[in-house]
Amino acid sequence: MKLSASLALLALALFVVSLLVGPAELGLGNSITGLFAGGGEAAAIIMREIRLPRALLGLAIGISLGLSGAVLQGFLRNPLAEPGVIGVSSMAALGAVVVFYSGLAGSSLYALPAGALIGALIAVLILLAIAARQGSTLTLILAGVALSSLAAALTSLVLNLSPNPFAAYEIIFWLLGSLKDRSMEHVALALPLMACGWLLIALSTRAIDALSLGEEAASSLGIHMGRARFLIVAGVALSVGAATAVAGTIGFIGLVVPHLIRPLTSRLPSSLLLPAGLGGAALLLAADIAARIVLPAGELNVGVLTALIGAPFFLWLVVRARREML
Amino acid sequence: MLRSRRSLPRLSGLAFLAGALLVAPVSAAPKRVMSLNLCTDQLAMTLAGPDQLVSVSFLSREPSLSMLHEEAQAYPVNRGLAEEVFLEKPDLVVTGTYALHNTTALLKRLDFHVEEFSFAQTLETIPGEIRRMGALLGQEEKAERIAGDFTGELEAIAARQCDRRPTMIAYDQNGIAPGSSTLADSVMRAAGFANLAADLGVVGMAPFPLEQVIAARPDVISISRKQDAPTLGEHVPRHPAIAALPETRIGAFVPEGSLSCGAPGVMEAVRALAALRAEIAPCPQDATQ
Repeated sequence: MKLSASLALLALALFVVSLLVGPAELGLGNSITGLFAGGGEAAAIIMREIRLPRALLGLAIGISLGLSGAVLQGFLRNPLAEPGVIGVSSMAALGAVVVFYSGLAGSSLYALPAGALIGALIAVLILLAIAARQGSTLTLILAGVALSSLAAALTSLVLNLSPNPFAAYEIIFWLLGSLKDRSMEHVALALPLMACGWLLIALSTRAIDALSLGEEAASSLGIHMGRARFLIVAGVALSVGAATAVAGTIGFIGLVVPHLIRPLTSRLPSSLLLPAGLGGAALLLAADIAARIVLPAGELNVGVLTALIGAPFFLWLVVRARREML
Repeated sequence: MLRSRRSLPRLSGLAFLAGALLVAPVSAAPKRVMSLNLCTDQLAMTLAGPDQLVSVSFLSREPSLSMLHEEAQAYPVNRGLAEEVFLEKPDLVVTGTYALHNTTALLKRLDFHVEEFSFAQTLETIPGEIRRMGALLGQEEKAERIAGDFTGELEAIAARQCDRRPTMIAYDQNGIAPGSSTLADSVMRAAGFANLAADLGVVGMAPFPLEQVIAARPDVISISRKQDAPTLGEHVPRHPAIAALPETRIGAFVPEGSLSCGAPGVMEAVRALAALRAEIAPCPQDATQ
């Protein structure tokens, strides 16, 4: 509990810093009055319509990715499982891209989560089917690599095929993710779906703990496997799908955070969930603040920073996992 | 070739020059001209005589980019490929320096007559470009008339401006804005506006942070029309923060495609913005009109 409280404090502090960082240098006083006072003042508009949705999305998407990473690692009993690595995020991006750029729903933003949830759901179901047949850590990761490469290629293809020449420029957003210029519309679109996902994952805690003893042992403990599987599949698809729909593919948060935090918990998979969510929020908020500071005018894609932290970490985990296997 | 010409004795060089001058009127009006670039398309379609233009680029039929998209329906289109030029064997190829470098180099090596137009342009350079294209096509008179009308109308519009210069930003896909030394900047200035992006030091087309648009509160935000095929980038100029600016006029004020090329069609953008300026910040000159 102490761990969760300190991580919550860290995330909250970074949330506040995120509100204070931006190309319009507002100053502390202006920022605070802008956030709470009404009216058409520039400071008020910037705080409420630009920075607040950005910080809220950083917080909520970070929770979604951290939580999904932790629950997938526990459920699949695979230390390398993570929505980005195993292709859930890329498939969600592909789903969003197919539905949005085809123009089926006009240019309405509602097309984004609709497509992303379907993409994420398909990915989780494919991976579960593979994991059910072949329990090996490596098979799942390799399947995930194949799935994410395929999804990334198809995403680029769909964007290049769009009759609008500007669509092709958006490949970088979908592959590397960004929280730039989001609005409250995006928050309203994604936050309720993510919250439903968190709830479903929270309901699966008992099953995940039992599963750490193996599926048979879990069944003998009275865990309904079908129900547990549904909760986790739907929970991950909802939270990762909604997150990707509004921010593109942001990788490695679900990988790095659970590993950093696990040694500090009781090692019961369920005790990891809340701290991993809060830690994910802190990491994404920090990365998003850095993305704005490193390149103030152009702004870096936040996925570049998370990959810079995450990819070497992933490599280290792979090497370590190999050594343990030998 | 150039080097061998330079090494000729001076006398024969003079003789060559004289010969070239004598031959010039005969070869001056190419019969078959091909245009490979959206912007040379605009100039060529405006100036070419009947049946003089073999084909124009496919982009010139795109309504969002080309002012003359209806006229372009009457011409065959090309995709700017060297093979297409080779098959058509035109007397003259006109293209831009902006893209297709490889095609241009290849065509020159194959001894085609290629003329390149640079499009780092402003309103001031357009009459010169019109005259240059006119000379290339052997349509000097027509070019002179169109260039003269263009300059005349610009001067008339300039005479109607005063010191009241409302601020404007052209806020486009993904928050890109034209700063100084762009065609859009010269159009905004000619129409009596101050270009916010240029005033804040942006040069060329560059990303302009949404927060700074809000902080600067321009009088007008000019955005482009929505296309049939959606993009996320077009949501940026339509961000709720921009809509929340209470006194700012936001809209697609410039006719579609009018700012994509330095060609006579750009005058439509100047007229539209000048009318907008007269409406939101009238000058004394406007009252007497």
